[in-house]
Amino acid sequence: MDIGKFDIKKIILSKLNIKLTLLFIIVGLVAPSLALYYFYTISLSAMTLSLSPEKAPLLKTAIVTIVILIAVNAGVLGFFVSKSISKPIKELYKATRKVEKGNYNVRLDIKTNDEIYELAQAFNKTTASLGRLEEERKEIDSAKTEFLSITSHELRSPMTPMKAQLQMLEEGYFGALNKKQKESLGIVIRNADRLDNIIVDFLEVSRIEAARLKFNFKDTDMAQTVQDNVKFMEGFAKEKNIDLITNIDKLPIIEVDPDRVSQVFRNLINNAIKFSNDKSKIKINAELINEYILFSIRDYGCGLSSDNQIRVFEPFYQVENANRRRHGGTGLGLAICRGIVESQNGKIWVESQPGKGCKFNFTIPLKPVRNIKPIKILFSQKGVIERKIKEEFKTILGPLGLGEFNELKSKNSLGKEDLFEYVDSLTGMYIIPPERGVDFKNRLQKIYGDEKEVINRKEDTLHESLGDEVFK
Amino acid sequence: MPKTILVVDDELDIRQSVKQILEVNGYTVETAVDGDDCLKKLNELTPDLILMDIMMPGTPVGDVVKQITDIKIAFMSVVRISDARKRGLCTQDNIVDFFQKPFNVSDLIDRVELVLSE
Repeated sequence: MDIGKFDIKKIILSKLNIKLTLLFIIVGLVAPSLALYYFYTISLSAMTLSLSPEKAPLLKTAIVTIVILIAVNAGVLGFFVSKSISKPIKELYKATRKVEKGNYNVRLDIKTNDEIYELAQAFNKTTASLGRLEEERKEIDSAKTEFLSITSHELRSPMTPMKAQLQMLEEGYFGALNKKQKESLGIVIRNADRLDNIIVDFLEVSRIEAARLKFNFKDTDMAQTVQDNVKFMEGFAKEKNIDLITNIDKLPIIEVDPDRVSQVFRNLINNAIKFSNDKSKIKINAELINEYILFSIRDYGCGLSSDNQIRVFEPFYQVENANRRRHGGTGLGLAICRGIVESQNGKIWVESQPGKGCKFNFTIPLKPVRNIKPIKILFSQKGVIERKIKEEFKTILGPLGLGEFNELKSKNSLGKEDLFEYVDSLTGMYIIPPERGVDFKNRLQKIYGDEKEVINRKEDTLHESLGDEVFK
Repeated sequence: MPKTILVVDDELDIRQSVKQILEVNGYTVETAVDGDDCLKKLNELTPDLILMDIMMPGTPVGDVVKQITDIKIAFMSVVRISDARKRGLCTQDNIVDFFQKPFNVSDLIDRVELVLSE
């Protein structure tokens, strides 16, 4: 139970209170004044002869005093009457705000026995059922994570004898194989490995979501770690004749889990290699910015449209379906990278233009985060962005906004480009004035640019450098 | 004299696969289906190494391994070594290795050879 309390100052200054009190004062002043005025004139005309001239002002004073007293009484009465109305309304308002912020334990204790009391009862019931729904949602969410973890373990069990037998066949435990048998076995082994990788990634996701991700923090020379990873990946890069060019600042020794950093690093370099053309280059930078170390991996491959730039961090999102087969992978790599980086309060984002390559960035704070929080990976990012866009539609377009939003959503047209086009069509048809259109676009831009805001001042220079390099 | 290895796993296919791998590489292999069966088998033979799953029906593996003090034990499990440690396993000195399932055949052979030569 959480019942809102109010200080006296707020009650006195309440707008509703002031209005009602004023009303009472006016009524309290006007009604008796009119009555007394008529009484005064009538009594004067009736008693002019009997009333001595000295006593006339006295009567006047008496009447004025009575009027003032009545007015004051009416005012005080009005104040208390209005207070009894406005106080529960204020309580209701405050409680609603609390519910809005996600506190479903708010209950109103209003015993006025009138319509406001009924409203408060209805509010309490609604809040209680909201609270139950929220509980259920949380339970389902943790059940999802638990399910993921259990099934992944269960799926790994049969992989064990399967892979063992396949390897034994491959290594000739049961006799030599002919060429066709070897080819066939090769396909089975490759796909068994791929299946196993997916299961491993599922397990990793369930760990991130349940905040069970392990970090073994130790003092690490970050520059050395970067070099080691680049060296490790050089073998893969050579297959496509890609140069890995490093530019590493002087970095401090910080407390991190070097294996986790390497996991993110290798994943990003691996992606860069996958999406680079033969004989191109990949630039790897690491620099110290205030409380962070910023790493970036820049490729000159096919690049990403702005729509894809946010969505690449979603699970199973692949830029093109055709690419999936060509490039392999589980579709969870970047989502896991995001989970690892965000578990350490870092940020990960991508800057890109189609056809001109990508620059993946991530940051690691100089101080480790020991208290790991759960991070939603499966189907989260998209929902957040959609919700924000929906809000903007409601703000800008009013009651129409919701319908428009739903229509765009059903057409799967909530990408940045689609939305900008939509706003242009609105201003084009004079449905909204041009300034409002610009405002709308700015707000949408902000939603899509959210990922980038984090790096603060340095962001601008990053953009410039990227632009100078290739994007102009 | 070939070295003897006792493979303890509740899954037939895993027992058989590990047995095949080890036998081809010159070891004598005995199998047990769970912790209790393992203790029973130990009454009759003294293997050089026990390869044991950590999640099996019957007596918990943690209690089983406490009764085995003089034989080298290597665990095999789908869970990671950090999770096994969290369950209080891997504390005894005679626990010499931990194989993450699904294991690599040649890696298994190399490491078994290594722990047996120590």
